[in-house]
Amino acid sequence: MKVLLVCEYREGKLLDTSYELVAFADTLGAEKVAVLVGDEAAVPQLDAPVYLADVALCGEYNPAVHKAAVLAAVEKEQPDYIVFSHSSYGWDLAPRVAVALKVGQVTEVVGIVDGDFEVGCCNAKMRRKVKPTTARAVLTLQAGAFAAVAPQAAPRVERLEVAIDGQGLTFVGYEAAEVKVVDLTKAEVIVTAGRGVGKKDNISLIADLAKAMGGELGASRPVVDAEWVEHSHQVGTTGQSVSPKLYVACGVSGAIQHLAGMKKSDFVVAINKDKDAPIGEMADVLVVADVLQFVPVLTAQLQG
Amino acid sequence: MQMTREIYWNVGHAVVLPMYLLVLAAFTIMVWGFWARLAVWRQGKPLDRFDRKGLRFKRMLAEVFGQSRVVRVTDGGLPHALFFWGFMTLFAGTLLVMLQADFMAPVMDMNILSGSFYLGFSLVLDLAGLVAILMLGGLFIRRFFFRPQGLEIETGDYWIHALLFITLISGFLIEGARIAATELTQFPELARFSPVGLFVAGIMAEISPDSLAFLHKSLWWLHFALVLGFIAALPYSKLKHILLISANAFFAPLEEKGALATIDLEDEEAEQFGAARVTDLSWKDIFDTDACIGCKRCQDVCPAYNTDKPLSPMQLVKQIGEVAATDSEAELVGMIGADAIWACTTCGACQDICPANNEHVNKVIELRRNLTLMEGSFPGDEVRTAVGNMEVNGNPFGMAFASRGDWAEGFELARLDDGDEADILYFAGCYASFDKRNQDVARNFIQICNAAGIKVGILGKAEKCCGEPARKLGNEYLYQMLAMENIETLKATGVTKIVTTCPHCFNTLSRDYRDLGLDIETEHYSTYINSLLQDSRLKLNPGETQHCTYHDSCYLGRYKDILSEPRAVLNAAGWKIVEMDKSAYDSFCCSAGGGRILAEEKLGSKINEARVEQAAETGAGILVSNCPFCLTMFEDGIKTGGCEDTLRVRDLAEVIVERIGG
Amino acid sequence: MKILVCIKQVPDMESRFKPAADGLWFDETDLAWRMNEYDEYAVEQAVQLKEQLGKEPELTVLSIGSDRVVEAIKKALAMGADRATHIQDAAAQQKDPWQIASIITAYAKDKDFDLIFTGMQSQDRGSAQVGVLVAELLGIASATTVVDFSFADGVVSVKRELEGGIKGLVSLQTPALVTCQLGLNVPRYPTLPNIMKAKKKEIEAIAVDSLLSEQAIAPTAQVYAPVRKGGGIVLEGDVGDMVQNLLGILKEKTAVVV
Repeated sequence: MKVLLVCEYREGKLLDTSYELVAFADTLGAEKVAVLVGDEAAVPQLDAPVYLADVALCGEYNPAVHKAAVLAAVEKEQPDYIVFSHSSYGWDLAPRVAVALKVGQVTEVVGIVDGDFEVGCCNAKMRRKVKPTTARAVLTLQAGAFAAVAPQAAPRVERLEVAIDGQGLTFVGYEAAEVKVVDLTKAEVIVTAGRGVGKKDNISLIADLAKAMGGELGASRPVVDAEWVEHSHQVGTTGQSVSPKLYVACGVSGAIQHLAGMKKSDFVVAINKDKDAPIGEMADVLVVADVLQFVPVLTAQLQG
Repeated sequence: MQMTREIYWNVGHAVVLPMYLLVLAAFTIMVWGFWARLAVWRQGKPLDRFDRKGLRFKRMLAEVFGQSRVVRVTDGGLPHALFFWGFMTLFAGTLLVMLQADFMAPVMDMNILSGSFYLGFSLVLDLAGLVAILMLGGLFIRRFFFRPQGLEIETGDYWIHALLFITLISGFLIEGARIAATELTQFPELARFSPVGLFVAGIMAEISPDSLAFLHKSLWWLHFALVLGFIAALPYSKLKHILLISANAFFAPLEEKGALATIDLEDEEAEQFGAARVTDLSWKDIFDTDACIGCKRCQDVCPAYNTDKPLSPMQLVKQIGEVAATDSEAELVGMIGADAIWACTTCGACQDICPANNEHVNKVIELRRNLTLMEGSFPGDEVRTAVGNMEVNGNPFGMAFASRGDWAEGFELARLDDGDEADILYFAGCYASFDKRNQDVARNFIQICNAAGIKVGILGKAEKCCGEPARKLGNEYLYQMLAMENIETLKATGVTKIVTTCPHCFNTLSRDYRDLGLDIETEHYSTYINSLLQDSRLKLNPGETQHCTYHDSCYLGRYKDILSEPRAVLNAAGWKIVEMDKSAYDSFCCSAGGGRILAEEKLGSKINEARVEQAAETGAGILVSNCPFCLTMFEDGIKTGGCEDTLRVRDLAEVIVERIGG
Repeated sequence: MKILVCIKQVPDMESRFKPAADGLWFDETDLAWRMNEYDEYAVEQAVQLKEQLGKEPELTVLSIGSDRVVEAIKKALAMGADRATHIQDAAAQQKDPWQIASIITAYAKDKDFDLIFTGMQSQDRGSAQVGVLVAELLGIASATTVVDFSFADGVVSVKRELEGGIKGLVSLQTPALVTCQLGLNVPRYPTLPNIMKAKKKEIEAIAVDSLLSEQAIAPTAQVYAPVRKGGGIVLEGDVGDMVQNLLGILKEKTAVVV
């Protein structure tokens, strides 16, 4: 079995998610070969052939040209699977490759179950197994589903020549991320402070935990109303409706307006003194404890 | 000597013709003024407020002569009523004099103003004039020296006070001059029945007869001129309220309180829904703006105004009037402001307290209908989401509709959506179905019913939001969609009685759904539990007396006049109620009405905190409410308002369920 | 100018899902339905473009599915689409993205649409393929994950949302296709007059068989409920133990805390 890893490059750097593709290939125990539109200095470090198309010629985003590069590598290697990260790059390019090859695509694979590809559906409420019927298939992998491997050996780089034709599309450039008020809707981890934190001074404990978890600080309405945290952090129907991968509710009792705003979270941890608080019903893990005692210990552990 | 007096004494009968001609002229000016105003009112859409004329007329007489709406607020209201009664008595007296002098005497050669009747007549009129002067003086001091906050002073107010004051004073001076020249010496027994006149005459006693005659004649003409001025000025000044507020007592709705016009969504000709311009309102809405006397009572009781939101019901009415009078094409929202329109909780306090029978809430709803149905706008994104959730899942939270009946798991309940039968259908509503706290209330209510041997059924997942918040936000389309589905479901169950724990559901099902074809008796649980107690089906064990304060939710108290039943239930359960200052019809909103339950309260201070504070001030420690919206808002308000140590909020069902027994 | 918007009706994600009897999709009982959220942004952007161009463009909305999808179509019409095509397919849920894209392509290929809007993905299946596949099959330029859109002189300028809040600026020559990401605009709430007008707009019905000639190449083998991750674990007792326990669970069950 051979897997073509379509690595990703942006603004002079190889993206780390490329190493998740490697992990996936290792899970399958497949032979690896990679393709990258990038430059010599940023090729993935793995013990495999890497086809490199020159980003200076191809452009960082130019789907028609990138597709041609991937197809050229496919032509040379005849892989069983062509694998992308499920990213703005991967989900854009994968179907273009799939249709050119007329092969099936499985989007946002989260795992391999009995040899079939498992994907989430309906907001992760259901799972779906997909079985491509074509000889080879295109896959995109959910970010984080396959833990990235460490960079390995220097690759055997082989240059690809591709015809440069944008076919009606021109990449103009990047726009830097705005320094904006907190956008919780796209946060992967949210640690929310509720009234159980007691007073404004204790908010920093929750903020520290959020930082340790690599997430954003959220707040329940009473906390915002009391002006302990500013409104841009508010989770709930009158704040932001969120859908993080992990939601940690600290001292949030769980008013209906709050629950409605966080119920799309994939995994919910609630830390509350009251075992019967409504938030408990939403929680995958309910920690029955005083937030002020529990959170600092958890934060310390996470910070190592 | 005959106990009577000579009418037209000193001025002579020659004045009769010019006098009547001048009165006619004054009346012409008055009628013309109102006539000109008619065009402004007629810009509004048709509305039948001339049906059931007898009933309307009776109400008008009662309200005008009884001053019942005026005395609702004693400060200002009581002096006004006394002044009105005094002035009205003088007016009636003058009419009687006119009748006697220019009809009874010349045509029938009779004198009704004689004998003991005349004595009484003199006395009553003198005292009425005295009361009128005293009250006017009081009102003058109140307005110009101790002006209550929010009361506006216009230039016209000075003129009106002067006109009325001089008219009244000159009346007594005329009387005094006449008595000084005649009765004082000739018939003192008679003069005693005009005590004020006699007092004035006493002061004038030293004046020579000629001078008295001249003084009398001059004052008579002055008094007459002022009366003419009064008549002519009616439509052009605040005095118009005398006629317009009286008329509004006739025009006031006879429908149930809180009734809104149900829009015909099948009408394919309709191009405008709600009020974008003043011409989209009814003529009565424009008429109201002229009837408004600016007493600012509505503003005083408005929860939005009192928490620094950009809404004053009085200003809203005035602004509509201003647009109607100047530029009927202008966009009303531009004048009033969307924030003001969205700030209303439809609590109805303004309308309830308005002495002029103005209908504020319906105006707000019409303005909102325009914003929602014509412009697709919302008070905030959170409301947009909630409304979307109501469309998809039939509840504002966006919870799966199929989980609506989950709260009842473990209870023996008939599932009316599955064809079971029951004594009553409990229409739970969204909060009792999905909000944990209110789910407890629902379960408590079921326990109470079970204790009384009542078999309760629910609709489970077949129930949808009653549509009340949507309707109050102006979204008549969504309201009717939800209503039609509910009505179909409710009718299919075959139940004969529906009980709700939510006053909003209760109002909607018992009143608004009637327009759409529901005719099943609907009751609120407070009256239902009360009747179970009355019938001895439910027995409570009062136990030790405890103290609480009780919040009349707007939609139960003000809108449905249900004030005593919930109190009776509380008393029966051994609770002693410590009333808040603002209770019963004066109750202060919890902030959640008018669809505001779905909206964030971004402007001003928090209404729920204000109310919770009022409850805490009673010292009762426990606040009992009867509405899921109120309960939710008070729970919030207690936390954010810092009343956690002094106040707990509980629902009526929660405090009753503990006392089941006996 | 001709504009096509492809929309899908999906279950509300708060619904209770359970697998259908055949195990190949979810059971449709107890589901609430709505327009795919991403598609609402697509419709809105198309309507905004139509308004920008002075109502000259003709805006067609297309949806594939059973009779219930007419509700979603009506919403798009109420939002401002001129006409609609309903490709009737009671078994649309069994079609893979390749087949769905083939159907749309078969419909659109000789209609010369200048611009096609689709959602970036559907909320239920989440394949994020159909839009790009259609563009590739029609041989027109396409851009995905669009969070900002403008149009002038036959050139579409978009911002693509990349990771970490960075945006990629791309311009496309028409004919072109864009797939719309959440936040692209604020989808309008249909006004009542427009809802009423929408009731009179034409909905052309086409049987799916007349447009479909492709077999599925990535069919669903099974749909099933995930094993509930936490299972509502309750931790009580010593703080230190609970912290260790929690970290263990998080490592096992989530991809975010490693």
